[in-house]
Amino acid sequence: MSNQRIVNFTLNGEKSTAIVRGGETLVELLQNKFDLKGARESCGQGLCGCCTVLVNGSAVAGCLMLAWFVDGADVQTIEGLANGNNLDPVQEAFIEAGAFQCGFCTSGFILMTKKLLSEHPDPSDEEIRHYLIGNLCRCSAYPEIIEAVHLAAAKMRVLARA
Amino acid sequence: MIGLDIHEPQSLEEAFALLGDDESTARPMGGGTALMLMMKARLFKPSALVSLAKADPRFHGIHLSSDGKAFTIGAMTTFAALEHHDAIAKHLPVITQTMVTLANPRVRNVATIGGNLAHADPHLDLPPVWLSLDSSIRTIGPAGERIVPLADFFAGYYETNLLPGELIMQVHVPVSPGWRRRYVKITTRSAHDWPAVGIALGLQMQAELCTDVRIVLSAATDRPLRLEAAESILRGQKLTPGRIADAAQATGDIHIESDSRGSADYKAHLLKVHLARALQDLSE
Ligand SMILES: Cc1cc2nc3c(=O)[nH]c(=O)nc-3n(C[C@H](O)[C@H](O)[C@H](O)COP(=O)(O)OP(=O)(O)OC[C@H]3O[C@@H](n4cnc5c(N)ncnc54)[C@H](O)[C@@H]3O)c2cc1C
Ligand code: FES
Ligand code: FES
Repeated sequence: MSNQRIVNFTLNGEKSTAIVRGGETLVELLQNKFDLKGARESCGQGLCGCCTVLVNGSAVAGCLMLAWFVDGADVQTIEGLANGNNLDPVQEAFIEAGAFQCGFCTSGFILMTKKLLSEHPDPSDEEIRHYLIGNLCRCSAYPEIIEAVHLAAAKMRVLARA
Repeated sequence: MIGLDIHEPQSLEEAFALLGDDESTARPMGGGTALMLMMKARLFKPSALVSLAKADPRFHGIHLSSDGKAFTIGAMTTFAALEHHDAIAKHLPVITQTMVTLANPRVRNVATIGGNLAHADPHLDLPPVWLSLDSSIRTIGPAGERIVPLADFFAGYYETNLLPGELIMQVHVPVSPGWRRRYVKITTRSAHDWPAVGIALGLQMQAELCTDVRIVLSAATDRPLRLEAAESILRGQKLTPGRIADAAQATGDIHIESDSRGSADYKAHLLKVHLARALQDLSE
C-alpha cells in the first residue's frame, strides 16, 4: 500500500504514531489525529503563516507539507512551547505587548519569532519585517507585534545572562 | 486528495519505473510546494508523487569545482540552503541577493531549485537569474544523461523540453569573476509577491567600456527571455546615458502579456524605466 502508511515521529518531545493517507497535510494530521488546533489552515497557499510548524527545527507551512514525510522527524507546535504553566518568553511578550486581537495568526507569529531570535538575537525593525513578511495578521496588530519581538528579545537576553 | 500514492524510491531505476511513460500521471516531487498548490486548486490530480529525496546522492549538495570555475548544484537543494551558503554568497552574490526576495522563510526552507525550474512558471525569479549566468542543466532519464543549456530548456507556459521520464539532476553555474550582476524584482502588491517584471542583468566592464552583457526579462512573456537587441546596443560600447536610453527603448518590440500583476503596457513601461536605472547603477 502506498496511499496509506504509519508514521513514527516525535511530537512536542513525545514519541508519536499515526496512520496517514497519501494526500493528508501536516495541519490535518495535527488537528484531526492529535487534537492540536494551534497550527491552522487559513490561506492554504503558503502565504499567511497561520499553519507554521517546526519540523526538524525548520519552520514550514503545515498546509503545504504532506504528513507522510514527518516519519522520523521531530515536530514542534505552539502547544509544546510552554513549560507546564510557565509560558515561553515569546508568548509572554506577545501578551504583554497586546500583539493580537482575535489571536488567529498568533501561534504562527510566535513560532516564527522563536526562529528569528535564534538567528538574530537583537533584530532591527527592518529584520523583523523581513523575517515575518510571510505572516499576515488580519487584525493588523503589526506595530504591537514588532514591539513584542523586541520585548521577547530583551527577555531572552536577560534569561541568557542569568 | 484521497487516493494519492506516495513513493520514496531508493534508486534512480526505481524512480523511473514509478514515474512510468509519457501517459503516466505520476509526478516527481522536490519540495512539493508547487504540486500542493496545483492539487489543492484542483488544477490537476496526479495518481502518485515520487519523491526524489532518496533516489540518488547527485540530486543533493552544492559543489564548487576544484579550479573554482563553476558550481554544480543538486536539484533537491532548497532555496534556504542556497541562501545561507558561504561560497555562493562569495562567488554568486546575485543568487544570495535574489533568494531573500522569494516567498517567505517557510517556503524557502522547503522549495527546491529543481522543482522551481521544472515548474516553468514564467513568473518565477530564479530562472532568469540562472539564464543570465549562462547556466545549464544536467538531466537524467531512462535513456541516460544530457546537458541542456538553460537557454534551450523552457518551452512555454509551464512547459519544458524535458523528455518523458527525464529528471533535472543538477544545475551547472559558471563563476564569472569581474562581472557585475543584479536581479531587479518589481512587485506591484507586496514586497515579496511574485514579480510584475523581473530583470536579471550581468555586465562585464573594462574601464569605461562594456565588453559583454546579459539581460534577461521574466514575468512578461511565456518564458524567461534574453533581450538580445538591447544587449547588442551596449556590447563593446561606453555606457553613456544616451546609449542606455537606446537599449531601454529597444525593448519596445517585445510582445508582453498582461496578467494579474500588470497590463502589458504597464509592464513594458516598468521594463524600460527599471532597465535603464539598473544599467546606470551597475555601470558606475
Ligand atoms: C507562497 C509562495 C510564494 C512563492 N513566491 C515565489 C517567488 O516570489 N518567486 C519564486 O521564484 N518562487 C516563489 N515560490 C516558489 C515557486 O512558486 C514554487 O513553488 C517552487 O519553486 C517549486 O519548488 P518545489 O521544490 O516545491 O517543487 P515541486 O512542487 O516539488 O515540483 C514542481 C514541479 O516540478 C516537477 N519537479 C520537481 N523536481 C523535479 C526534478 N528534479 N526534475 C524534474 N521535475 C521535477 C514536479 O513534478 C512539478 O511538476 C513561491 C511559493 C509559494 C508557496
Ligand atoms: S494556511 Fe498555510 S500559509 Fe496560510
Ligand atoms: S490577531 Fe487577528 S489575525 Fe492577527
